Amino acid sequence: MYSKFVLKRMMYGIMMYILMILTFSILFNNVAEQTLHDQIEEQITQEIRAYKNMNKEQLVSIADEKRAQKNQKYHLDQPIVFRIFYRTLDTLMFNYGNATVLKAANGDKEVLNIELSYLPNTLILFSTQVILTIIIGIPMGLWAARKPNGFLDRTTSSLSMITNGLPAWWLGLIMIMAFAYGPLGIFPSGGIHINPAPEGWDGFVDYLWHLALPLITLVLLSIWGTAYLVRNIVLGNLQEDFVMAARARGIPERVVLLGHTLRTSMPAILTIVILGLFASISGNIVFEIIFGWPGLGKLYWVAIQANDIPVLMGTLAISTLINILGFIILDIIYGWLDPRIKVGGKA
Amino acid sequence: MNIRETLSGLGEFWDEFRKSVLGLVGLTILILFVLVGSFGQYLIPFPGATENWRNIDFWQDNPQAAPPVWTNLPWGSQAASSDYLIESRTEITDLDNGVKQQTWTIPYHFTADQAPRDVIFAFDGIGQVPVILTVTRPDGKVVEVSREQLDLVEQQLTRFSVTNSGAQNVIEFVRSQDEELASSMQADIVKPTRMLFSKIEKTMENLPVTLKGDYVFTVTALYLNEQAKLESPTVRISGFVSGLLGTDISKRDIFTGIVIGIRWALIIGLLTSLITVLIGVLLGVIAAYFGGKIDWVINRVYEYFYLMPIIPFLIVIAAIFKITIWWLIALIVIFFWSGAFKPVYGMALQLKEEVFVEASRALGASKWRIILRHIFPMVLPYSFAVMALSVPGVIVYEATVSILGLGDPSIVSWGQILHDAEGQGAVINNLWWWVVPPGLMIALMGMAFVFLGTALDKILQPKLKTR
Repeated sequence: MYSKFVLKRMMYGIMMYILMILTFSILFNNVAEQTLHDQIEEQITQEIRAYKNMNKEQLVSIADEKRAQKNQKYHLDQPIVFRIFYRTLDTLMFNYGNATVLKAANGDKEVLNIELSYLPNTLILFSTQVILTIIIGIPMGLWAARKPNGFLDRTTSSLSMITNGLPAWWLGLIMIMAFAYGPLGIFPSGGIHINPAPEGWDGFVDYLWHLALPLITLVLLSIWGTAYLVRNIVLGNLQEDFVMAARARGIPERVVLLGHTLRTSMPAILTIVILGLFASISGNIVFEIIFGWPGLGKLYWVAIQANDIPVLMGTLAISTLINILGFIILDIIYGWLDPRIKVGGKA
Repeated sequence: MNIRETLSGLGEFWDEFRKSVLGLVGLTILILFVLVGSFGQYLIPFPGATENWRNIDFWQDNPQAAPPVWTNLPWGSQAASSDYLIESRTEITDLDNGVKQQTWTIPYHFTADQAPRDVIFAFDGIGQVPVILTVTRPDGKVVEVSREQLDLVEQQLTRFSVTNSGAQNVIEFVRSQDEELASSMQADIVKPTRMLFSKIEKTMENLPVTLKGDYVFTVTALYLNEQAKLESPTVRISGFVSGLLGTDISKRDIFTGIVIGIRWALIIGLLTSLITVLIGVLLGVIAAYFGGKIDWVINRVYEYFYLMPIIPFLIVIAAIFKITIWWLIALIVIFFWSGAFKPVYGMALQLKEEVFVEASRALGASKWRIILRHIFPMVLPYSFAVMALSVPGVIVYEATVSILGLGDPSIVSWGQILHDAEGQGAVINNLWWWVVPPGLMIALMGMAFVFLGTALDKILQPKLKTR
């Protein structure tokens, strides 16, 4: 029963991924092909330079031959439907081609390697955000639930509403202005390392120092919503019969809250919180740009500025994959924890 | 549902709504926003700024990157603030041989501890017009800052900046008061406005003490022939502080930008959420009621849009196709309806099994009649809550696309103001009055809608009320 649900979810996920990549291939067909043509021309010009002692006509015919060869190699000589099909297939196989301008740290021009050199920073920022938010947000939510309408409860709910419509990158700008420049300038204004980057342990400390301000900003934004969510889930569970029974048995309130209620609420809390934070990951593009944090979001900006279409397309494909993977996995975990979802998934 | 029923329903709803402080606060803020958004052009100090936001000439008389006027703390030294002065009276006198002379008087009350950056005379003129510009100081002394000879074929705006071209005349004025003092002054070094607005003292060049009181600027024009004409002279004071929210690097008034940004934030937020919610509700109800294949297809379509990384997609689209604001709205609509879909789908699945639906089906009502007359009206009120809650997201999306410089350049939005601020070094130069207000407005508008949405949600979704 559950394995069927998992299988179905995964199948739909793969189907959606293929459909989305197909959509991108169709939408961006013109610009992608134009880039490919330009790249081919550039290659031909370079290769022809190696031929010496030839007259102009011979060179032109060699160039034509090479062009035909390459067009065939990249399926550019085929009807548009096939060209789109092949591009979709290539993208699905992570074969994103070569960048026009950008390079990976080791000088590699292959788009996939560029993506992989940027991806870890995004994952580090995101995972530390999730961990810190959970560590801080859950106790806050519990405390708020303990005294509904108390000071902390009101603060949490109102701040969660305020931070709801607040762009993370704007708070980033303010934080940079306050804590990177001026008298309180104790943090670096961006990037992941000072120049030149220190090695070993110092390098790690330097990385943490650069991570601090973006991380604080993100956590400052996400804890309120998380605490509010925890508070709602815990309050809902506090009205259950088993809590009343526990209280009737004379179990101290602290144990009821931490032992009984939190334990039953934990699965829902974890999945919903991570799900909520996950939805924000793709919104963090501008955030990374503001902080000069070299993650996937920054890569979008770099690719747009350099007009590097292959990298832009590759980044979009990777973001899409991560998005779908994340949602599907969380969906599956949630379904495992809460059987009602499975029934919903079956319908 | 007839009108009376609807009205009493609304009355009941209002009675409930009135009890929610949060909802009332949200509604008040929203009404304020709508009012300022609709009548903003009468509020802003620069009418016509909407069309001229990116026109450098339009803003040329403002100071650059000046802080807001309220940074003049009551106990601190007062910097001169920017001002636009207009004539208090004008009179025409006939001179001999048919020549007419027109004089405009423009009063200015000056109280700052620091002279303004510049004083700019501006007037429309045509034909041959000799113009004399003078300043009468509170101590009764008259400074002739310029004697111009206009010779214009077409009517056009003429500007005269005291800082740029009045130095020699101002030194002459000082010389008439104190010859020794003036002898040390050089026209390319002195600050003419400082001389103009300070007491005549030995230290006036380095440690000026401003002369406070009522100044009078006069513009005198001689009309030598029939078509010669001078119109609507103004004096613009370019201060060190400017407007309610200061100015940016391009000399634009930020308060004006914030006010005209309201309109677009409201249009984008309300229009997008209205359409998305209608689509989401309709599809949710249809999927739930019809079931089977239709349900499957709609749910897959929902999944497709739900799983798509919206912001990256919007950014790539905007970067490649350079879309207008209407395309952006259309794209957000395509992606956003999924937010309203799921809750409505769940509600409709329950409603479908209700007795009254069964009853009308037994009476022979068609599927569409049941959907449109029975289920749709039941979920529609709740969808208003969803709508209000989805507005902040939409506004943030537009701002996110705009701050990357990928927004529609023909509109003025808060995101674009932030883009200019980010790109032109507002953060590094600590021009906080350029960065803080647009973001606060986005947050405030988002907050208003969230308050409203939460209040509506509590009233309209019965399940939540018990909580």
